[in-house]
Amino acid sequence: MKAGEFILDALGRMIPRVALLFAVAAFLLITGTQSGIVTLLLILCLLIFLLEQLTEFCRTKSRLDELQAIMDGLDRRYLFAECAPKPQSLYDRKLFELLRLSGKSMIEAVSDAQAAQKEYREYIEQWVHEIKTPITAAKLICQNTDSGTRRKLSQELAQIDAHVERALFYARAENPEKDFIISEIDLSVICEGAIQAHRTLLIQNGIRLETGNLHDNIYTDGKWVSFMLGQLLQNAARYRGEEPVIELWGKRLGQRVQLTVRDNGIGIPAHELPRIFDRGFTGSNGRNRGGSTGMGLYLCKRLADALEIGLQIQSTEGTGTCVTLNFPAKMNLTKM
Amino acid sequence: MQTIMVIEDDQTIREELATLLKNQGYQAQIMTEFEAIPEQVCSIHPDLVLLDLGLPGRDGLSLCAAIRKIAPIIVVTSRASALDELQALNLGSDDYVTKPYNIPVLLARIKAVLRRNGGELTEPDILETAELRLSLTKGTVTAGGQTAELTRNELKILAHLITHAGEIVSRADLIEALWDSQIYIDDNTLSVNVTRLRSKLEGLGMPEVIKTRRGMGYQL
Repeated sequence: MKAGEFILDALGRMIPRVALLFAVAAFLLITGTQSGIVTLLLILCLLIFLLEQLTEFCRTKSRLDELQAIMDGLDRRYLFAECAPKPQSLYDRKLFELLRLSGKSMIEAVSDAQAAQKEYREYIEQWVHEIKTPITAAKLICQNTDSGTRRKLSQELAQIDAHVERALFYARAENPEKDFIISEIDLSVICEGAIQAHRTLLIQNGIRLETGNLHDNIYTDGKWVSFMLGQLLQNAARYRGEEPVIELWGKRLGQRVQLTVRDNGIGIPAHELPRIFDRGFTGSNGRNRGGSTGMGLYLCKRLADALEIGLQIQSTEGTGTCVTLNFPAKMNLTKM
Repeated sequence: MQTIMVIEDDQTIREELATLLKNQGYQAQIMTEFEAIPEQVCSIHPDLVLLDLGLPGRDGLSLCAAIRKIAPIIVVTSRASALDELQALNLGSDDYVTKPYNIPVLLARIKAVLRRNGGELTEPDILETAELRLSLTKGTVTAGGQTAELTRNELKILAHLITHAGEIVSRADLIEALWDSQIYIDDNTLSVNVTRLRSKLEGLGMPEVIKTRRGMGYQL
């Protein structure tokens, strides 16, 4: 609270009182009191009045500062009314009580919503585990049939698989800190896993992969990064150009390791680049081709943020897209 | 022949997995009663167990510890969290594959675990046909007393054709086989490699060894 604010607020109270004071002074003068005494009384009254406002200001300020400090110290601010000290005056007490009731109903609403979200998330995870059994069975049946059917079916199954994975990671990204385990892992192992998981897609789109310099160890969650790479590979395959090539290159940069995923696909229009990480954003490429969900890069960004991986995308329309992932190569001890 | 035991409660998966393993030249044993599992494993004494962690009414992880005393294990599960994986590996499983598994990956893991534990399944270093002799470690092909060096891609292509000698191998199958060996090539690169391989074989006096079957693939 600033002094100016206080004065402006106190003006309403001050003007009638000062006016009354002058009126009394005028009355005293008219009724014959000596002007010297009236002036003295007037100054005295004004002084007392000023002093009163000054202490009022100090008191209000210190109380407000205290409340602000409580608010700043709170992790969940809607718990404020539970933590603040009870006020003195009747009006303030009643107001405070109402505030507390409103806060209470908010707390209940929030915890209900949290419980519902948790249940929903648990159901999604359970569902994902359940759906994996029939997908696995279908994959095996598919593997044991003739090669023509196998190719067509395995493409569809790979797509189902990709959608299911996204659903799982969407559920996980809601509360990311609970699910990942950071360990030391060879970058090439993660890349290899992501490539093998998408081999059907990559082979059938006639993509040539070039990999190199991936033998650096990084500290991260392998599964999550593998999922992220999978999204990038899927994008590169979906938005491929003529004679598609995807390059995966590693590079050591001091305390970090940078992985570059570059393709020679159709690229992203410059004006759409700022929005590619938005949830549900499909862009003109996605709209023209259909089947785009607008979730892949959004999830990548969320997971990357949780794992403290720097994720950047550069693209030139018609030339290709280059994604860089910046991994910690040293254990971040302060975080563990 | 090596025996692989499949412990899996989903009937379709279990049967299809058995078919797949038989096609790959293993002897597959499936379990249909999930009582006294360690004893059943003991009576068959397989070279490898594929264990589903999600068996009904069972703690797959404690089973894991009991079976590991008898045979190596690959844990197969739809639970994909990092914690489950750590637990499974801590309890002695040799490897961990999550559903829905990528079949080539699963087969590669099976091969790797069998090799680590038995050592019987060492892959032959020399592949031979009536006219050709291919050395995988040296990366050379010999015919009529002459030897030519091959690149990694050429070697893998020729090795795949020799192991499927007489059959028509489609281009798509060849590409998939190369991907198994972490060579990620496309159709054009395959054509280039086959042409080079042919000219090398021609240099050894074997011009028509690899036949092109139009619209179907290659045949040795």
